[in-house]
Amino acid sequence: MVAPSRISFRSGPQVDMALLICSVAIATLGLVNLYSATSYYVESARKAGLADIYVSQVYWIVVGALLAILTAVIDYRHYERLAYLAYGGGIVLLLLVFVLARDIRGSVRWIPVGSFHFQPSEFMKILLILVLAKYLHNDPHVEPRRWVDLALPLGITALPVALVMAQPDLGTALIYVFTAATMLAMVRIRRRSLLSAVVLSSVSAPLAWTYLLKRYQKERITSFLDPEHDVTGTGWHALQSKTAIGNGGLSGCGFMQGTQNQFGFLPDQFSDFPFAVFAEDWGLLGCAILIALYCFLCVWAIHIASQAKDRFGAALAVGVGALTFWHVVANVGMASGILPVVGITLPLFSYGGSSVMSFMVCLGLLMNVSMRR
Amino acid sequence: MSIIMQRSDVGEFRRRYRWMVLFVMGSFFFIFGRLFILQVLQRDIHQAQARKNIVREIKLATRRGVIRDAQGKVLAASRPSYNVYVVPSQLNIEQTWPRVVQLMGLDLLEANRLRSRILELNKDERRREQQMLLAVNVDRDVVATLETHEAELPGVDVVSIPVRYFPFGELGAHLIGYMREVDVADLSDLESRGYRAGDRIGGVGIERRWESYLRGRRGWRKVLRAMRHMNDRDELEAKYLEEPRRVSPVPGRDISLTVDVELEQAIDRAMRGQLAGAVVVVDVRTGRILAAMSKPSFDPNAASGSGGIEASRDAFRRYYADPLKPMLDKTISAAYPPGSTFKPFTALAALEQGIIDPSTQADCRGGYEYGKRFFRCTGVHGHVNLHSAIVRSCNTYFYTIGAHENMQLDTLAKIGMSFGFGVKTGIGTNPEARGRIPTRSWYTRRYKGAFRGGFTLLAAIGQGATTVSVLQLALAYAALANAGTLYQPQVVRSIETSDGTIVQEFPPRVRRIISMDSHQLEWIKSALHGVVVEKEGTAHAESLLGVDMAGKTGTAQVTHVTPRGVDSDRVWYFNRDHAWFAGYAPHAAPEIAIVAMIEHGGGGGKNAVPVASRVVQEWQKLKERPITGKRGARDDDAEPREP
Repeated sequence: MVAPSRISFRSGPQVDMALLICSVAIATLGLVNLYSATSYYVESARKAGLADIYVSQVYWIVVGALLAILTAVIDYRHYERLAYLAYGGGIVLLLLVFVLARDIRGSVRWIPVGSFHFQPSEFMKILLILVLAKYLHNDPHVEPRRWVDLALPLGITALPVALVMAQPDLGTALIYVFTAATMLAMVRIRRRSLLSAVVLSSVSAPLAWTYLLKRYQKERITSFLDPEHDVTGTGWHALQSKTAIGNGGLSGCGFMQGTQNQFGFLPDQFSDFPFAVFAEDWGLLGCAILIALYCFLCVWAIHIASQAKDRFGAALAVGVGALTFWHVVANVGMASGILPVVGITLPLFSYGGSSVMSFMVCLGLLMNVSMRR
Repeated sequence: MSIIMQRSDVGEFRRRYRWMVLFVMGSFFFIFGRLFILQVLQRDIHQAQARKNIVREIKLATRRGVIRDAQGKVLAASRPSYNVYVVPSQLNIEQTWPRVVQLMGLDLLEANRLRSRILELNKDERRREQQMLLAVNVDRDVVATLETHEAELPGVDVVSIPVRYFPFGELGAHLIGYMREVDVADLSDLESRGYRAGDRIGGVGIERRWESYLRGRRGWRKVLRAMRHMNDRDELEAKYLEEPRRVSPVPGRDISLTVDVELEQAIDRAMRGQLAGAVVVVDVRTGRILAAMSKPSFDPNAASGSGGIEASRDAFRRYYADPLKPMLDKTISAAYPPGSTFKPFTALAALEQGIIDPSTQADCRGGYEYGKRFFRCTGVHGHVNLHSAIVRSCNTYFYTIGAHENMQLDTLAKIGMSFGFGVKTGIGTNPEARGRIPTRSWYTRRYKGAFRGGFTLLAAIGQGATTVSVLQLALAYAALANAGTLYQPQVVRSIETSDGTIVQEFPPRVRRIISMDSHQLEWIKSALHGVVVEKEGTAHAESLLGVDMAGKTGTAQVTHVTPRGVDSDRVWYFNRDHAWFAGYAPHAAPEIAIVAMIEHGGGGGKNAVPVASRVVQEWQKLKERPITGKRGARDDDAEPREP
């Protein structure tokens, strides 16, 4: 038993330097940007007793990095066996939210653990990717699938979506749906089934509008479609964010010089709109670099998937890539006014322990797959 | 070796990867395109908006010009009025509030009402941070007390607001005017001229007519909406505020009037005991208005809102409900039948036509029979000539002129027009009543071709359809007094900058030279003197001794109508005749023309003459007064900042 271990030590896990550098770069930019985003806020908020946001984000990133290393070290194929169990645990936590969570801004998402507010829906993203990857791994079909064949993964997705919608947290629910859909898109589906899905969704959309969406969620969508209609309410956020991005111009106002941010015109500038802060400070040139980094991360995830030695690893990599992709597209789209305002974070840029840690774990998973191809 | 068996093919996924990569790249490229639009193509719009977000313009109030009388006395100026505000979130309702109540001397009811309002506002997260109005136009003493105790009163603010102040109150209010708030309706029109909601604008009179001069121009200053780093403020302002950062306000022009407020006061005293009427005094040598008063008057301070909006609304409600019409400028905005005061003009026309000469006589037996009608005289005057007919105001004599074959209605109209009747004088302060000098064609239009000779008889004694405004009559008598120069009336003598430099002066302007035979004019003038000095003269009995004047009384009959809103037991008043006196003084070398009209005053000799006589007497005294420096010390306000 000595020999194989030596062999595996020699030719075994190689750290994926591209992924590592890209991740570190994004995390660094995110931290620097958060410093700018909170520089105004802290000044007036210190009296209100709020913790120093920038410093705690450093803690989360460090803790997240440790978790990521831990995740990467253990062979990902061990996770496959635990996938259903972990998924079940995640569902339980989501249910616990309703019992334990406190109402923050009209929605219950966080379970208080000491001074930390734990957000199970963030970690559920990982578990959903894991469980869907396991399903895809074990799925024996070779011919194109019918809907009936996909009933199980759809059900697996629908359960957390329903729980998160009830919090209510439309943004996270949409992320679940889009990530799951991307993963399921890897298998072949019959044309007729796809067609019926289109018909079904166009029928159910108005029903969902009437019965599922909350009033404020509808307002966000209507104000996106007609931003001039309500410039003081919901539309205001989107408008100020667009102004901030445009104010950056080609080369930006300079670090901590963006007036939209510094004078307090960006709401939620460290959670929902860090991209606007970044774009105002660094301009189109800075944005191009950041967009390129995220783009590389997503493409690299697909590359890792294509190199993976089994379906589980491939599905896992695609899942992480999809999660990153939809987060970035939704957040930047919302900040630049091409998508309605829903609270979706920008990975490693937005402040938040659960968000940072869960995304770090995802990167760890990706590294894991990449190291063991 | 692998523990986990590979159950299906990785190859199934493989066909998807290319599409996924394309989709990812396409999406990010699309986002980049969007950022390119925002940050390069639309950059200027967004940068301008971002700058607009952080920069605020503070308006700097200007000082409205002062209006002064001919002696330099201030008739209208701006003074600060003090409003007290509280910010509910900053006010300690348990400790500070009772102190506020005590210092301001609020009564219990008011204090309790305000207290519950503050508590209510305190519940509203946004409004609790905003100032709430506690009291308007607070006494200077209270302001001083509040400022002394400022340290004990966190959350209480005293804000000064410029308010127009009229030291002489109702005196000459129609001429001077008042200030009103800009209507929402005219705001769209006025916005291009820089008015904003809540601004004040001249209501009537000089304040309205000379608004553009008095108003001045508002300045502004750019400031940052500093939400952080208050100590970096200068540095930040230097960075973000573009030049010019400040434009100073331009104070309004001051206006000096021709009006003498002491003469106005004299008129006010002379009119005591009269309910309604108008008096105008003009300088016969220049056409300048020395005094113009319309009674009843209104309080321009209340109308301008110095006591708060509610008080001014109440005042207006009262004024508009009053049947004596205090808001109406009776010197120029209303026309009345002139009655016998018109007779000198009839006489001039008759002399010019050669219908009469000074020796022409008429036999007055209490009236004149013309056609089927009997035109009444004021009495039985017996044999009268031109002189005695004017002195005793004999209608019969003038009916005879009116009935003469060579006397046409249009002949009368022509002389009336040449003296400025029937046309606006062009004074321009308030809307003018044109008055009416009827012509034949006017009657033909009005009565569908049924012109009757009797109309000429009525016009000859200033009745019938003839109406004149008080100012028109005064200017016409001024033209009699100065031998034929009809002046454009003037109220503004000069416009000055706020430091006293004269910007523009207004020399007298002649409207027309009326050609008259000097002998004929002398006959008329001696008769007008006779009205006052001869024993039989209609003005003799009531004029004061030692008052050197000439003129003509008039008693104008009123069409019997009941004005709306008048009690039936008061109708008699509105059916009384208007009392007139029109004349000039001194007789030999006239300097002023005066017209006194007592609305529904009754007989002219009995009611209007005492007023005119008193005014002329006071004028004589004022002429003797030592010449003081034209200007007193000026009180220059510091630049007030708008609330």
